[in-house]
Amino acid sequence: MTRVLVPVAILEGEALSPGLTALLEPVDATVLGYHVLPEQTPPDQARLQYEDRATAALEDLVATLETAATSADHRLVFTRDREQTIDRVAAETAADAYAITGASGQVDRLLVALTGDVAVDRIIRFVAALIADREIGVTLFLASDESGRDASAELLETAADSLSAHGIDVETQLAIDVPAFEALLEAAAAHDAVVIGEQAPSLRSLVFGEAAERIATESIAPVLVVRENGSD
Amino acid sequence: MGGQPPSAEGTNIEGESPRADPTIETDEATITDDAELERTLGLTGGLAIGIGTMIGAGIFVFPGLAVGRAGPAAAGSFAIGAVVALLVALPASELATAMPKSGGGYYFISRALGTLAGAVVGLSLWFGLVFATAFYLVGFGYYAVDTLAELGIAVGEGLVIPVAVLFGAGFTVLNVTGTENAAKLQNGIVALLLSILVAFLGYGGLDAVGLVGEPATPERFAPFGAMSVFTTAALVFTSYLGFAQVATVAGEMKDPGRNLPLAMVGSVLTVGLLYVVTIFVATSAFGSERLSTFGETAMVEVGRHYLGTAGAVAIVFGGLLATMSSANASVLSTSRAIYAVSKDALLPRRASRINLRYGTPHVALGMAGGPILVLTATGQVELLAEVASVLHLVMYGLICVALIALRRNEPDWYDPDFRVPGYPVVPALGAVASFVMIGFMQPASQVVGVAIMVATAGWYAYYARDVSLRGEL
Repeated sequence: MTRVLVPVAILEGEALSPGLTALLEPVDATVLGYHVLPEQTPPDQARLQYEDRATAALEDLVATLETAATSADHRLVFTRDREQTIDRVAAETAADAYAITGASGQVDRLLVALTGDVAVDRIIRFVAALIADREIGVTLFLASDESGRDASAELLETAADSLSAHGIDVETQLAIDVPAFEALLEAAAAHDAVVIGEQAPSLRSLVFGEAAERIATESIAPVLVVRENGSD
Repeated sequence: MGGQPPSAEGTNIEGESPRADPTIETDEATITDDAELERTLGLTGGLAIGIGTMIGAGIFVFPGLAVGRAGPAAAGSFAIGAVVALLVALPASELATAMPKSGGGYYFISRALGTLAGAVVGLSLWFGLVFATAFYLVGFGYYAVDTLAELGIAVGEGLVIPVAVLFGAGFTVLNVTGTENAAKLQNGIVALLLSILVAFLGYGGLDAVGLVGEPATPERFAPFGAMSVFTTAALVFTSYLGFAQVATVAGEMKDPGRNLPLAMVGSVLTVGLLYVVTIFVATSAFGSERLSTFGETAMVEVGRHYLGTAGAVAIVFGGLLATMSSANASVLSTSRAIYAVSKDALLPRRASRINLRYGTPHVALGMAGGPILVLTATGQVELLAEVASVLHLVMYGLICVALIALRRNEPDWYDPDFRVPGYPVVPALGAVASFVMIGFMQPASQVVGVAIMVATAGWYAYYARDVSLRGEL
């Protein structure tokens, strides 16, 4: 079964947009309520004071996610390092992707970027499971330079074929010789939600923040990041 | 890691019980019924806490004072302190890996030796840290005034105490309102300090053994006799209090079975070596009589002697950073110490409330900051340092006793990842050395220390007599 981890800053009132809740309907979800602590505050001290409130809020979120077909559960973590917590819980729950919540209404069209360090067929399998048999269209996006034009077009074609085989309406978008990330941001703005592959940390991500986070910030749409080591 | 930790029960005078929820400790998190506490501190972070707390006093405040009392043999005093600290750090490491929880020494002692010992140690640790922080702040005040002097603004020593109090208040307010994580900054400061010191001591060391520069005049190693070496060791022992602060964050350390012993033992060995070399280099520069006249900031003159103005500026800058990092780390440890006893109902639960606006434990930070300012205002460097040491040494001695008590009849839950080598000799020596060290303090420090412990015992009898924390042994 496909599982998505949904981290939320639970004590800061972060909630799930209706669009994301609906989008996640066919898959299992784990809501990860986290609270980032300043170094002055021992985690256990925060737990004693906030645990009940946070758990109640998490149970409400889980209730909205739970459907007849799939299950949802929650974890509550007090941490000083959000990334470390997401990585650990994602590994422990063998989640295939994690979500950056964003804001969105009804999702009609997904932007799927075939970038990052995750194998394309892994992303495609996840998208197929996420859409299941719903009327949600997909735009496959890939950026490349002129020399890689043919290989990229072929990659997009293969990926589009395997999604079409699931009965999904697919378009492709190939960005040639333009700044790849900016082109992706532009495409994201025209879609209701974004799926991208996880990326290894780079100098660029150290300076500007992780690609997924930046897309989420700029497009305000929910972003699903497919993990390299999910369940198989 | 350990199975079920010891239980706690009973109520205090206000009807509050210890909050002891069953937990499972893994290498990455502490898991309770409904929540998880991420372990985010690595070995580097642990070493930075230990070294960052210790280095300020030993190198930047004590050399002048210690050499004035013991001559060049002050290096021996620092070495004695390192040995005692090591004898305690090893048993403390074993207990910390068996009970990797915040609270450190207080937690081990209350669970192994019972509530009275726990209450005395836990509440005394609060005051011990308050005294230590006040001492670091006064040291900081001296360096701040020296910084101004290097900048050509001579304000005189009259401003030392006001500056120290002002910054003490500043640290407390910053800790309540500042939610930026300064932990990474702390790592950077410690790395920078170590580089300054290694470069400086490396050059000074070469000079001192006569490879560069002019040969120094030899002098008698212990002009004031062997006894002075021991009393000086007692005075400078404050330089080693930081390793216990590592134990207070045991609950936040990744892979505690490996990282806790390495951080505690590693930081003691690192700073111990630096201290001994520092004294050697300092006494080679000036001779002990002259050095002692420079007082708290003698190292600045040592820097000037070897490397001119650049050396003096580097040491002044290092001293500011080091005393600041010691003071700040101790304010944090104090607030944690208060939380640990308040969680066990030995203090009102209110003490561990978290501020809703900043998410910081403002009550505990206030209970740390208030007394710190009062003590800082006294400006009694040696008394502050020694009382801090007395109160910590009682805890250190009892940590060793607690280890022996647990090992003699190991309960089921006791399963440390690290076992102290040379049991029972090492913990027995650690206990004896800690208590003997108290005997070498000045009478005034002993009296203040004992008075505080009697007061804490009285508080326990009044407030929390019915609380039981002892684990089933």
